[in-house]
Amino acid sequence: MAAAISIRGLTKKYVDVWQKQEVIAVNNLSLEVEEGEIFGFLGRNGAGKTTTIKMLLGLIFPTAGDATILGKPMGDNQVKQEIAYLPEETYFYDSMTGWDLLDFYARLFRIPEPERSRRVRMALEKVRLQPEAWKRSIRGYSKGMRQRIGIAQALINDPKLLFLDEPTSGLDPIAHAELRDIVASLKYEGKTVFLSSHQLADVEMICSRVAIIHKGKLLRTGTIKELISGERTEITVQGKELQNGMLAKLQAIVPEVHMDGEDTLRLTSDDSERVAAVIDLVRGAQGKIISIVPHKRTLEEVFVETVRKEDNTI
Amino acid sequence: MIALAIAQQTIKEAFRRRVMWIFLIIGVFLISLGPVFGFLTPRDSQTVLRSLGLAAILLAGLFVTIVTCIYLIPAEIERRTIYTVLSKPVQRYEFVLGKFLGGFATVFINIAAMGVVFLAMIYFQERRIPAEMFKGVMLTFFQMMLLAALTIFFSTFTTPVVNFFLSFGIFMIGNLTTVTESLTTKSNPLVRGVGTLVHYLLPNFGNFNIQNSIIRPQIEIANEQVFLRNNILYAIIYSSVLLVLAILIFDRREV
Ligand SMILES: Nc1ncnc2c1ncn2[C@@H]1O[C@H](COP(=O)(O)OP(=O)(O)O)[C@@H](O)[C@H]1O
Ligand SMILES: [Mg+2]
Repeated sequence: MAAAISIRGLTKKYVDVWQKQEVIAVNNLSLEVEEGEIFGFLGRNGAGKTTTIKMLLGLIFPTAGDATILGKPMGDNQVKQEIAYLPEETYFYDSMTGWDLLDFYARLFRIPEPERSRRVRMALEKVRLQPEAWKRSIRGYSKGMRQRIGIAQALINDPKLLFLDEPTSGLDPIAHAELRDIVASLKYEGKTVFLSSHQLADVEMICSRVAIIHKGKLLRTGTIKELISGERTEITVQGKELQNGMLAKLQAIVPEVHMDGEDTLRLTSDDSERVAAVIDLVRGAQGKIISIVPHKRTLEEVFVETVRKEDNTI
Repeated sequence: MIALAIAQQTIKEAFRRRVMWIFLIIGVFLISLGPVFGFLTPRDSQTVLRSLGLAAILLAGLFVTIVTCIYLIPAEIERRTIYTVLSKPVQRYEFVLGKFLGGFATVFINIAAMGVVFLAMIYFQERRIPAEMFKGVMLTFFQMMLLAALTIFFSTFTTPVVNFFLSFGIFMIGNLTTVTESLTTKSNPLVRGVGTLVHYLLPNFGNFNIQNSIIRPQIEIANEQVFLRNNILYAIIYSSVLLVLAILIFDRREV
């Protein structure tokens, strides 16, 4: 498969004129996004996600580095025929109706009538905006409806590649689930999606690969499977003797030990040999093993761990 | 054409702004006061109606133009609609051209609306529409078009507040054509230098005021056709230069 997006050493520095401070919003980022995948671009607020997307679309200009989008240099006008962008928190022209707004965007693609009306209708149906709302002004739309219109405008040119910047942020649970499913369904139409998000549960559900970016730097990238691989096991043990000397011995094997009341301990480890060692030790000391529960790691755990580790090493 | 789609959208948005309507309504109101004033003053009521009407169109047009054109581009950035537009196959020059055309059209519609009311008043009173009044309205439009170009040009690199004072200030200075012109012949080289720069670099808004020809008969009257044509050409050429500069600036601008 070919690369839909190929980023090489992309860097963006902002200079604060007043404070003479330099912010490195994106720091030497290199990344490949394959055609046909939903790629999760993860990071906290201020990590540099939006800045990266805006550079890729030619809205702002990189300090260093470059990228190709569908084989063309970023910002190329021709490639815009085949891509789409949903910015975060757009207000749109809110005195227009949903229909008129999409019609306007379709005209920017030089799509003639009657094809234009057909496209508008298809996009509105695809995002499941209630038909009663089509001819109403956007000002009266709920946040979820606005976000639907946002995705609809991104679909108007039947793009190969979509940049969606936090499309499900700030929505109620129902709208959230529906929009997430709409994004997920794009994959089956063969589209590539570059999805910026910090909604890790969504990403885990619909993305095939992700990148974690923090303070402008790429920390990890890989398939979800790769990232969450490695089970953690939680062992709960009980015994009167545990506190005398036992605690220190256990801690020597597994650093993560939590006291759960007087005589109960909870230990977690992702190393099966250590788990076995703990069990042996507890049995030898006449302790009781209450439970051994294997845990699948979640993307959230991996994300938090990765970001914390980075912060501690600085 | 993409620029036309942008222009059309720009006009729609401009007409949804309440502040534009306020100035338009004030303008129409002042114009319709003309006959009342003419009635009340002992002076020649025809002159009162004519000069009050033209002044009202100029004043309301001035505010309509500035408050509208100040926001055409910044509003798109603030509401982030510009991201969706520029990420479609729209070149930045098409966007700026669309804004200029949309701004001009908005100004035209406003001046034309006030002009129609004004000429109707005159017809009502004089039973005819004198050609010079029509020309007066037309020149005001070209003057405002030039101002619109200036304001949109500034909006590509200044904030709306700065732009308001900048455009307003330059309009005022540009109206003092006789003063700046007299500076160009002063003996003090500094005064002469600055005067010449201001006189030739800043747009000469004063040239468009048909009333000026009463104050400065020596210019006007050589040939009225040439006077009109030169002013219109001046507005078009100066605006085109501003458009090109705006495009060059906007092309490098981060949004
Ligand atoms: N125009 C700007 N000027 C100065 N700093 C900026 C500008 N835009 C973004 N930044 C800074 O760059 C960093 C990354 O921002 P952004 O890309 O918006 O993050 P994200 O989208 O991941 O939340 C932040 O620290 C932000 O403050
Ligand atoms: Mg962001």
